[in-house]
This record gives sequence, C-alpha cells and structure tokens, in this order.
Amino acid sequence: MRHFVFALLIVLPSVDAVMPGHQARAEESDQLWLAPFSLTGWAETIQSLRTHSPNDVLTSRARLRLEMTADFNMLYAFVSGDAEKNWQIEDESGLDLQEAWLEHAADRWDLRIGRQIIIWGKADGVQITDIISPPDYSESITRDLDEIRMPVNAVKFRLLGDAITTEFIWIPVFEAAVQPTGDNPWAVSSERAENEQVAMAETIEPSTSLENSEVAVKVAAWLSGLDLAASLFYTWDDNPTYHRSTYSTDDVLHIDYSPKHHRLIVIGLECSRPWSDFVFRAEAAYYVGKYHETDSPTIDPLKKDLFKWLGGVDWTPGNNWSVTAQLTGDVIVNYDAALADEEMESMVTLNISKELFNQTLTVSGMLYFDLNEGESYFRPKADYAMTDALHLLFGADIFCGDEGNFGKYENNSQVWIKIKYSF
Amino acid sequence: MQQIIQKLPSVQAFLFLLLMSFIPPPGHADTTPTGLAIMTRVDDRPDGEDRKSLMTMTLINKNGRKRIREVRNFSKDFGKDKKSVMVFLKPADVKETAFLSWEYDDPSREDDKWLYMPALKKVRRISGSSKNEYFMGSDFTYDDMGDRNVEEDTHTLLAEESVDGHDCWKVESIPVDPEDMYTRKILWINKDADMIVKAEYYDKDGLLKIYRALDFIQQDGFWTLLKSEMDDVVRQHKTVMEMAKTEYDTGVKDSLFRVSTIQRGNIR
Repeated sequence: MRHFVFALLIVLPSVDAVMPGHQARAEESDQLWLAPFSLTGWAETIQSLRTHSPNDVLTSRARLRLEMTADFNMLYAFVSGDAEKNWQIEDESGLDLQEAWLEHAADRWDLRIGRQIIIWGKADGVQITDIISPPDYSESITRDLDEIRMPVNAVKFRLLGDAITTEFIWIPVFEAAVQPTGDNPWAVSSERAENEQVAMAETIEPSTSLENSEVAVKVAAWLSGLDLAASLFYTWDDNPTYHRSTYSTDDVLHIDYSPKHHRLIVIGLECSRPWSDFVFRAEAAYYVGKYHETDSPTIDPLKKDLFKWLGGVDWTPGNNWSVTAQLTGDVIVNYDAALADEEMESMVTLNISKELFNQTLTVSGMLYFDLNEGESYFRPKADYAMTDALHLLFGADIFCGDEGNFGKYENNSQVWIKIKYSF
Repeated sequence: MQQIIQKLPSVQAFLFLLLMSFIPPPGHADTTPTGLAIMTRVDDRPDGEDRKSLMTMTLINKNGRKRIREVRNFSKDFGKDKKSVMVFLKPADVKETAFLSWEYDDPSREDDKWLYMPALKKVRRISGSSKNEYFMGSDFTYDDMGDRNVEEDTHTLLAEESVDGHDCWKVESIPVDPEDMYTRKILWINKDADMIVKAEYYDKDGLLKIYRALDFIQQDGFWTLLKSEMDDVVRQHKTVMEMAKTEYDTGVKDSLFRVSTIQRGNIR
C-alpha cells in the first residue's frame, strides 16, 4: 500500500504538469504549427494482495503511457511509449517504446510501416488466429488483453475494396513471446524428480534475414449481416520448443535442453453474424508444423499439426447488460500417446457485464473454465468513473485447480485495486 | 353544383345533398394530415446528401455533477439507406473509438453495425437491435437519436398546439412492438420545420423523459438542430446536446463508411 500511495503521488501531479487543464489538442492553442500534433495517454497504478498465505503484495506497479499523433494529411504518424516502475518485477521497470509507425492512406489502399500492434480474429481473450503480435505473459494472463500484446516491426499494406479488404503483412524481425522468469512470482515451474539434473542452453532464435521473415495475407469481407475472413500466416512459433538430450550417471538423469523456435504455417478462418440481440462468432486455425511437449523428460517434443477452433455468442439483452460466451478447443492431428497434452482439449469462457448509474459503474466477471482439467480462472472487476478522466477499479484474479494452466497459479490468486487517469 | 341540383327532382335533390354532406370539402385532407404523414415528413425532412457535425453532450446528474462526451459525426445517404460514422473524442479513455452503422430503410432488414475499440485495436460486429441502449451514459437512446423507422410506431394526430411559441402538431406514437422500452410518446412537431420540438416518453409506470429542442435554425436551406435536452424525470438526470460545425453536402467520401476505414483507428 505504501507503494500505491507513493505511485499516486508521483503519477497524478506529473500528468497535470504534462497536461495542464487536461487539454492536449494543440489546435486549440494559438500555435498553429502545433495543430497537426496531439498528445494523449494515461497514468495508472495497481496494487494487489495475494489471497493465499503469506498474503503478501503480488502486483505493485505504476505506469505512464504517452501517445502522440501527427496528422500531415498525406502522412499520419503515431508514437506511444511507457514509463513504468514495477516494485515486484524489477525487469519491467524503465522506459519502453511501444508503437512507432507512419501511415499513408489513399482511397483504395493504405500502408503502415514501423513498430505496430496487429490484432486479428473474432475471439475474446483467446488466441486462435490472433498470433501476429506475440504475447507478454510477464504477469500471466492477469493483465488486460491490450497490455499482453507486444508490437512487431512490420510493413502492413492493405487493398481497400468497398466490402473486401486484402491485407499483406511483412515482419522482417522475429519477436518471441515473453514468459515469466527468475524471481517473477508468475514464473511457476512444475516440480521435477529428485534424480533429474537440468541444463538449459540459450534459446535459438531465427536471425534477421529475408528468408527468416514472417509474412501474412488476409482477405476479409464485411457484408450486410455477415463478416468473413480467411488468412495465411507463414511465421515462427512465438514459444520455443524445448528439445533435449538425456544421459544418466550414477542414478542421476541429466537433461540438456536446447530451446529453439520453429517455423509454422497457420491457416485461419473467421466469421461473425448478427441476429436480433445476438452476434455469433466463429474462428478456426490449422497450425502446420507445431511442436508439442511430451510427458516424459527423455522423449523429445513431437511435431504434430494442431487444429484450434472457437464458437462464441455475444448477447446484448438491453438495460446495459452484455453477455459473451465462448467454447474453444484444440485438436492434435495424428495424436501420439507420448504427448503431454490430451488429443482434444476444450475450454469455455463466460463474460457478464452490467453498466450502472448512467454507465459510471461497470461490474463484470470473466470466467475461463478448462473442461479437461476442471480448472478455472475468474476475474471479477468493478470499474467506477469518479470523473470522466479518473477511474477507480477493484478486482480479483482467482485461480482454481491443480497443476494445469490455471491451477499452477492458485497460490497467486489476488485481489487488487487500480486507479487510472486518462488524458 | 347548383346546376346539377336544379336538374334533379326535389327528393332526389335532398338525397344528393344528404350524400354530399358526408363528403369532406375539397382541400380538407391536405390541411389536416394524418399522424403517419406528419411523422413521415419529419423522417424525410431534407438534410442534404451528406452531413458532418461535432456533437457535445453534457450529462448532468441530480447533484449537478457534469460529464462531457464529444463525438464527431459523419453521415451520407445511399439511396434510401444511410451510412454513418461516429468518432468519440471525449472522454479521453474512449478517444478514437469509432462506431460505423449502415442503416436500411427497409424495416425488415437489420442494420449493420461495427465498433472499433482503440484499446483492443480491433473492429467487432455488434448487434443491430441494440437501439434501446443509452448512448454513452446519456439520457438519449440510439432510437431517440434518430435511428427509428417510422413504421415501428403507430402515429395518431391528437391536436394542434403551440409550444414555446412554435405552431405544432401534437402526435401520439405507440410502438408496434409491445416489448419496446416506451409504451407511448407524445410529440410536438413544428409545422414549418417538420422538427420535433418537444417529446414526452412514457413507460408502463408513467412519464419517463421529456425532450426539448432548445435552438434550431435554417442553415444552407436545411433546418438544423443546434441545441436540445433530454430530461429523465425518474432518474433526475439530464443531457444537453449541442451540435456545432454542422455542414451539408460537402462531398463526404464513400470510403469513410467502410469497415477498413474505422479499422485504421484514425478517421481523417
């Protein structure tokens, strides 16, 4: 709590100093040369307490986001960056450039070059085809979805029809997903047998070269009553495959890991269709060349194609209620019994949200439930707009289960409070 | 008429006059239009082929606390259908959120709507029938703001009255759909401008909201609303809506109303 109060004292006056009167748009000033520029952003601080013993602080950080745009008609520029102080995960502290891109938009095409976040797909909180921008799981999935995506250095070119958009993406520099490591409280590793000794080599990442580029193409149709899209992504797996060699000495099993990223081809399909108060969504992707972990330390990961799918429905019954339900699954093609994952895995998600008091208070709850493992992650949240600019949020991250994707974080269940100031 | 009567026998003349007494005199139908005709004129009031404006909403709660919403509007007619884009400028946390709608004249055809959310950098399809939702915490529903088809209500002319110095038709509109959030509306329509200058919204418990057009002018030959308010008498909450920088027929490009445009995240 000391950090929280400290962060508040730092963040809020600093915002006022940067944005006196909370009015950033330069066109309202007398300095016309500033007219193309605008500066916006937010400052927030979050503090949490672990609900399990020892009930210590689990998340404690303050962040300032600045976003600057420059509109020169022919050319539009966007730059965003973060300044963060993280009292729990020291590696996260510091300055970080988020996006920095230039865009030219013509009537029938547009081009965006630079560091950018690219989001695909119809799914909510689940990644099926949405793998262009790699995820940052430094705090598992407890961060808001927009904070989990990392930008990529890319060229995005779109051909713009009235109803059909064709998108080409070239990513010359590989970016890997970020997993929690070291002292990070979210770096939870599964227990090993006492007679195992592990050595981890440096991860082999693809070097930057033309042949190591990632390329994607997507055709999307926005029709009356139906959205459709098909995509092809020639990429690298954002997560490395933990290849291994093993040998034994004096009853000790030595495992030498050599993590390496592999090529993937991902073929995707998306659609959504409204009907009355509902919008039905579906998304599927076929991953060619995906490596899967085995359940034995002596067996190298196996290469098996993977089919991921999702069906969902959004329901807006009125009176400021909204309900989103999704069923999603993974199917490993030509399954091998040595694999750690099951041949078919499925999960449901449910998000219920209600706005109250003239939309000043939003109460919501997002549930992920793993149907195979019986594990769950529940994120209730209350967001109160104290003013147009200042929001006070309360919430919790509740993990239930054993050793699975959610259960392994059970001891990291937390309640949190957050203050966010937008300008 | 006199010549015809003189040629008829007296009994026949009497019957003829009796018959004629049931026929309204010429021109009577033109001076007293039906409720439907009045509301159709309101709906069809000329407003150019395309239009753009800057809308500011001031939300005032019962304690006098104010919240501001600012939205840039663009719309264009495509035959009898209309496409529009709203770009949210304030409050800051929803800045650059864009709402695209393709509204169809045919009431049996569901409107198409998409929302671009800058935080998620993503466009998502939203259901076309969320017309009874309140717009950005204001006291206006999407329907109140003009999305509603004339055929969705039955309209009855009640009287001719003067409201705030305006010579008005008083029309009662009752939703065809019994599940509608309002049970009835009483509307006062300025006869010259074909514009609603006052409206009372009722639900099953009685009076819910009162709308007033506070200021409107004729600009470029089109009646233009400058300021209006919606007073929710139940929640004791009020929204004042002001329109500025309204322009007509400026040649807004068709491309503005594509999904790919709002997907860009910066409407220009």
